[in-house]
Amino acid sequence: MSRPFISFASVVSLLLSGLLLSEIPALRAESPQAAGAKGKELFDKQIQPALVKYCYECHSKNGKSIEGGLELDSPSGMARGGDNGPMLTPHQVDKSSLVRMLRHEEDVSAMPPEEKLSDEEIAMFVEWIRLGAPDSRAEVGLTMKEQRMEAGKRHWAFVRPAPVAPPQVQLKDWPRDAMIDRFILSAIETHGMKPVADANRRTLVRRVYFDLVGLPPSPEEVAAFVADQSPNALAQLIDRLLDSPQFGERWGRHWLDVVRFAESSGMEFNFSYPHAWPYRNYVVDALNQDKPYDVFLREQIAGDLLPAAENETPAALEARRIAPSMLAFGPKRHNSGGLEFQMDVVDDQINTVTRAMLAMTVSCARCHDHKFDPIPTADYYALAGIFLSTEPLYGTIKQKYSNNPTDLLPIGPNAAAMHAAAESHAKKLQETEKTWVAKKEELKKAAEGEKLAVAKKAEVEKRLATAAVALAKATAQTDAAAQTDAAAAQSLAEPATQQALDEAIASVNKAAAQVAALKDAAKALEAQVAALKKNAPARPQYAMSVRDRAKPADTNVAVRGNYRDKGPLSPRGFLSAVEIENTPQIPADHSGRLELAQWITSQDNPLTARVMVNRIWHHLFGRGLVSTVDNFGMIGKRPSHPKLLDALALRFMHEGWSVKKTIREIMLSRTYQLSCTPAAKNMQIDPNNRLLWRAAPRRLEAETIRDAVLAVSGQLDFSRPVSSSVTPLGDKLVRGIPLEKLQPPSNYRSVYLPVVRDYVPELFDLFDFPSPSLVSGRRAVTNVPSQALYMRNSKFIAEQAQHAAQRLLASPQATDDAARVDLSMQWAFARAPTDAERAGALQLVEQVRQSLPEDDKTRDATAWAAWFQTLFVTAEFRFLVDIN
Amino acid sequence: MANNTPQTPLSRRQWLQATAGGLGGLALTGLAPRSSAAGLLSPKAPHFAPKAKRVIFLFINGGPSQFESFDHKPELKANGGRKGVKKGTLLAPLYEFAQYGESGMWISEAFPHLAQQADSLCMLNGMTAPSRAHPIAIPMLHTGEFQFVRPSFGAWVLYGLGTENQNLPGFFTIKPTRTFGGPANYGSAFLPSTFQATRLGWDGQPVKNASIRNLSASHGLSSSAALSALELAQKMNQRLLNQTPDVQGVIDSLTLSEQMQDTVPEVMDISRESKDTLAMYGIDGGPADDFGRQCLLARRLTESGVRFVEVSSSGWDHHSGLDKFKDKAQQIDKPIAALLADLKRRGLLEDTLVLWSGEFGREPETQVLEGKETLGRDHNATGYTAWLAGGGCRAGLTHGLTDEFGYKTVEGEVHLHDLHATMLHLLGLDHTKLVFRYGGRDFRLTNIHGNVVHEIIG
Repeated sequence: MSRPFISFASVVSLLLSGLLLSEIPALRAESPQAAGAKGKELFDKQIQPALVKYCYECHSKNGKSIEGGLELDSPSGMARGGDNGPMLTPHQVDKSSLVRMLRHEEDVSAMPPEEKLSDEEIAMFVEWIRLGAPDSRAEVGLTMKEQRMEAGKRHWAFVRPAPVAPPQVQLKDWPRDAMIDRFILSAIETHGMKPVADANRRTLVRRVYFDLVGLPPSPEEVAAFVADQSPNALAQLIDRLLDSPQFGERWGRHWLDVVRFAESSGMEFNFSYPHAWPYRNYVVDALNQDKPYDVFLREQIAGDLLPAAENETPAALEARRIAPSMLAFGPKRHNSGGLEFQMDVVDDQINTVTRAMLAMTVSCARCHDHKFDPIPTADYYALAGIFLSTEPLYGTIKQKYSNNPTDLLPIGPNAAAMHAAAESHAKKLQETEKTWVAKKEELKKAAEGEKLAVAKKAEVEKRLATAAVALAKATAQTDAAAQTDAAAAQSLAEPATQQALDEAIASVNKAAAQVAALKDAAKALEAQVAALKKNAPARPQYAMSVRDRAKPADTNVAVRGNYRDKGPLSPRGFLSAVEIENTPQIPADHSGRLELAQWITSQDNPLTARVMVNRIWHHLFGRGLVSTVDNFGMIGKRPSHPKLLDALALRFMHEGWSVKKTIREIMLSRTYQLSCTPAAKNMQIDPNNRLLWRAAPRRLEAETIRDAVLAVSGQLDFSRPVSSSVTPLGDKLVRGIPLEKLQPPSNYRSVYLPVVRDYVPELFDLFDFPSPSLVSGRRAVTNVPSQALYMRNSKFIAEQAQHAAQRLLASPQATDDAARVDLSMQWAFARAPTDAERAGALQLVEQVRQSLPEDDKTRDATAWAAWFQTLFVTAEFRFLVDIN
Repeated sequence: MANNTPQTPLSRRQWLQATAGGLGGLALTGLAPRSSAAGLLSPKAPHFAPKAKRVIFLFINGGPSQFESFDHKPELKANGGRKGVKKGTLLAPLYEFAQYGESGMWISEAFPHLAQQADSLCMLNGMTAPSRAHPIAIPMLHTGEFQFVRPSFGAWVLYGLGTENQNLPGFFTIKPTRTFGGPANYGSAFLPSTFQATRLGWDGQPVKNASIRNLSASHGLSSSAALSALELAQKMNQRLLNQTPDVQGVIDSLTLSEQMQDTVPEVMDISRESKDTLAMYGIDGGPADDFGRQCLLARRLTESGVRFVEVSSSGWDHHSGLDKFKDKAQQIDKPIAALLADLKRRGLLEDTLVLWSGEFGREPETQVLEGKETLGRDHNATGYTAWLAGGGCRAGLTHGLTDEFGYKTVEGEVHLHDLHATMLHLLGLDHTKLVFRYGGRDFRLTNIHGNVVHEIIG
């Protein structure tokens, strides 16, 4: 599109006659004051009316909307510009995109969109900018954006939790935990309800087992708890389970959901990540050690930068260096490259860190100020500067579609030495191979030389022979012609003297010797290469990690998220809406990760502790006090019990950020121990149980369903695999790996199954395992026929039913069919069968038995497997409900 | 011990009628009423009256050449061999074009069967897409996005409309590719996993051998024993009904699973079709056999109430070997023509929206590979061809125009986002209102883009 060509002078003189008539703009040299005065007059007479006429409808407080975040009804809004940043620079027409918009040029939004201003009007704006774009309007209070920011800062989640005494309640004896239960009961009473009765002990023990370790209790464990009437029975049970290694395997998985843990890159070229698994172990161990949550977070953001703790063990040091893997295993487009690749990685890091730890959707501010929350793009790029100054170490190798390999972190005993030895060995191997290839090339050339020498020798010999024959013939003749022939023969033989022959022979010999020598040398090198390959020192294990880049730097706002379009520089920093005393300052030579970690885990941060206690609550009740567990922003849900949330958050921090203590306290509350059975009156008042007058029936997660099946069948392998089944596959495109290799059969606990993006195990896929490319603190719960088909027909369930049957038949605890029904029910449901169930089970077993020949050795096992198939498909097997 | 179990002379169907509980009458009609099991998938009212009720997406993977198929370019033909606007030389279309039907639509001789259906097609010659790279363009076509994992088109449609037959999955993809996003191209991302496609086979394997998982049992029990087991489980489930409606969901899902075991194999069994029908689709062991099966399956599935079916043909990335284009076309020409004719004669075409599209099209110039010209064409997303049929699109219309040689769209542009928006519109869904809140934002298939192209609506 060509710019309308108008003589500047003529337009201005036409337009502003009387004002600037006598002046030739190009030659003008006016004083700043004079220019300002002229500009002001121009503004008042022409520009402001034009703004009102053409722009206010979509760009002012009283207009129908504020498009693109651009407010043109105040000097500050005018100067600030919209989502794309400032659109005018006083005195500099070329740097004012407003002009290009008015001219409807390409690659900017044409403004006004419907009708273009006249050339005269556009020239008027040009002149006004040239004169310094003075704006004589009064400010009209805060711009909408400023107002929204201010209102946003008052949003409950940004206000620090304050201690509040728990309220008084009518049922004074009801509370067990003086804090939790009083808050909960008070709200229930306020709504004219009463909580339901406590759950019976069987229900409770099964609930506690699944919640803490993700496994069903054994019949002995159930019996012991039911029989233990001491007031400490529950506390002791909880403590025992919190101390068991299975606790971390259960609760670690909750965290892995939140940080979108996976062992491949996902996206259009999905590359395996063979070295993500150490992070998985790190999380499980951290939960088991009850690592203080603030330390846990600091390690994941900046474990590599933390100062060494006193008496820090090598294992602890290694763990905190593995922890930032969280910043490295996100979904990535390895086929991309350069700054585009980096910005996408950074976006994923910002999204994961802020949603997992702060329940803030900061990524929304990548292209424009956050639409709902007080998060301007400047905040996003303040964080982006921190992560751009950080190099993620995810490994991968250079290959087709994989453009960005990085180092990895060697781990395990002697890792550094082993890595160094392996690297130097690899280098030596590489060099030797290079020498060998060069030698082979040399040999090839020498062999060609030998061939030539041999050919030359043969030619000399041939010529000599021809000449000899001709000479003999000529010598035998006497006539003149013959004399001539002889002379010719002589001359023919001339170069082929004996001497030439000797030389040819010598060069053949020389070439042969050279070839032989090179052959030996090549052979020796080949042997060396083979030996080097054979004797390669063992490599250590590797983990992902991060490290600071050599030159940390701030980054510019990328206008509309386009990194090529640079907006103002945004100094590295944190969320401006969260005000913290003693906000950590980022030294110029730091990435800022350490300071970010400190800022997030500051006791003053209003979000961090609340977010975590809410996640814990969510896992124990099926719904968080804030039900949108990953979003505490303006369009997240408000807390159902805000004061309780605050009290829990404060207690969490005061008690040293102990996840185990918080879990324990919540589980010991009466609220946790309620029955699931609904009360009719309460159902009318609060049908969704928002106020927690009963325990919510919950469906178990995919992993727990699988682990429970394996526990019943006796096949569960409680050991931890050395690495992951992805590790031996190496760095590969996932699409080329057969599914049976991606999902090899395994009896390990579910947390140790490989999590390959787009290829999670079938049972996981069916039972709502979240997409590992997305942060998700709350899983969907669906109920669909494909789940029923899996539980009824799949190979896995059929095999486990067989194992369970064999286990049952081998059990000395049950020696007749009726006892077997009882025991199997105890395994699966932690209860005895009803009479009808027992009869039904016996009937089914008998029906299957009768259908098989009497001499069939597997007859009994098949019959009992049918019964276990039945148990596995029931709702009771996969739901936490009251046991009656 | 005496066998006092009554032998079960009842058929599954009869049994279901007797035991379906809350789903009374379900088995008779083959259609489930709203049930908690099917809650997410039960039919939902669209935003406004729809013209189309279901979608068949014929994905022509690789970027099929518009110059050898549906974009008639006489100037390119006249100037073949001359220097092009870009780097190379213009490559004249390899085949003759002619006009077909009352609409006089231009179609190349590579698609003789489809040409007979010209008046059913709504030809979009002015398509544009954001990228000419497979790894970006394929996820874009399927999910409207490439930088992030987002729900697939089919998942959005299922989310918006539910499905009409609860005995079948609502969204099928047949022989999808494992490349360029693979399963993400038919996944549900942040939508509940219920909305992802049921996959049938993989690209590169004959569809004849494909099956749906877990439809047949691995336990080896007789069907009467399996039925007894189910009956017993359902009785046990009844005990928990007072605690949570989710248990009703489990009961219903078990009942439905039993029906699916009957229904799905029935629907998948193309041997129930007449010889004539099989022949019409080219299912005769010849070159069209495999795609013919896919198309026939698509018809059988949508006819049975499946909301969205995608079928795939791969191998259209003609950087070289363009002289084999006709052979390639032969694999899909007859099946697609048959599909359209078959839908029409069953009265289904009017509310079945068929989309034929690659992830982009190709350049008018000869491909240069490693400095040498080869008989092929490079990718082009600035002007290519896709077509719609049925489902309320304007049949017989040729919409959009590329420049004389076919480099770029110059008129009647339909951007990929516009295509998505328009297809949703035909399904009765407003693409700006079909949203799902995730991570603090309302997401939609068209992101912040897309305009409904009213000109192509009939």
